[in-house]
Amino acid sequence: MIIKNVLEEELNNSLRMKKLYEEKLKKLGKGSLYAKKIKGKVYYYLIKRIKGKVHLVYIGKLSQERIDEYGKEKILRAKYRKLLSQTKKQILFLKRSLRGKEEV
Amino acid sequence: MEKKKYELCLEVLSRFAKVGLLDKLVLIGSWCLYFYEDFFAGLNYLPSIRTRDIDLLVPLPQKNKTEIDVPKMLEDLGFVVGFIGSKGYMRLNHPELIVEFLVPERGRGSDKPFPLPNLKMSAQPLRYLDFLAANTMRVKFDNMIINVPHPAAYGLHKLIIYKRRRKKDKADKDIQQALMIFGCFEEMGDFRKLKEIFRSMPKKWQSNVIRNLSDLDRKDIKEILTS
Repeated sequence: MIIKNVLEEELNNSLRMKKLYEEKLKKLGKGSLYAKKIKGKVYYYLIKRIKGKVHLVYIGKLSQERIDEYGKEKILRAKYRKLLSQTKKQILFLKRSLRGKEEV
Repeated sequence: MEKKKYELCLEVLSRFAKVGLLDKLVLIGSWCLYFYEDFFAGLNYLPSIRTRDIDLLVPLPQKNKTEIDVPKMLEDLGFVVGFIGSKGYMRLNHPELIVEFLVPERGRGSDKPFPLPNLKMSAQPLRYLDFLAANTMRVKFDNMIINVPHPAAYGLHKLIIYKRRRKKDKADKDIQQALMIFGCFEEMGDFRKLKEIFRSMPKKWQSNVIRNLSDLDRKDIKEILTS
């Protein structure tokens, strides 16, 4: 009984976490920064996939601070994606475990 | 999953230690059972199931005066801020761990979160936590000093709070943990600290402990405490 309730609590936590990671990923936005050198000057573009097609969105010149921010966002996005996938696996595992037969 | 959980827990604690925060907190909840292993070394000590929550008690008045952005500090590990309950106290979520701050509830009590602006967090106020904060011990682990409640205080605390639980399974877990700890003290045959802490409790709490032990039909522990 204790184990079942612990699993239920963990499942609720995982469902909550899934929602949080999805929200975070939405806020972080999509795309990778791409630098293009034109006549000796560096201009930035954001490469992202829109409806299955790769698009280059022009951003222009960027400060080093902003470039670092994009870098950090990219790392964080990868981290959240990995954790979201882990959370989804946990949800599946917990749901399966809770569906198991209880001893009478 | 368990190994990852331990590693992440230690990483969180070591980050808190680096900025001098760990010293001002008390690790409570089922995670501190893990740090009792040395105290009960050589005994039949088998800590039960641990949940993902790491509960950190902030004793009042707060000792930490420096500003530490805890959510930011743990962001790169993948912790995200979540809000729980109707009033929304904060906790930091990760698939392996949930970091939560607690403060002792005093006076009439309130269901509102307790703000911890220095830590950019809020805490959940709970009853009887002053008792844990007053009876701590320091455990050396991985070059860190971790404050945990003395096992005797942990067991007695569980014995008081299990009756206040809404969920039966939580109450069962409290009883199980309390009895396991008392069992280890019996195995050690040293009840001095257990008695000392019990006697330091307010009379009303003492009678609650005795009554709860009677309900659990544990006259042996009752006799030890009252002898």
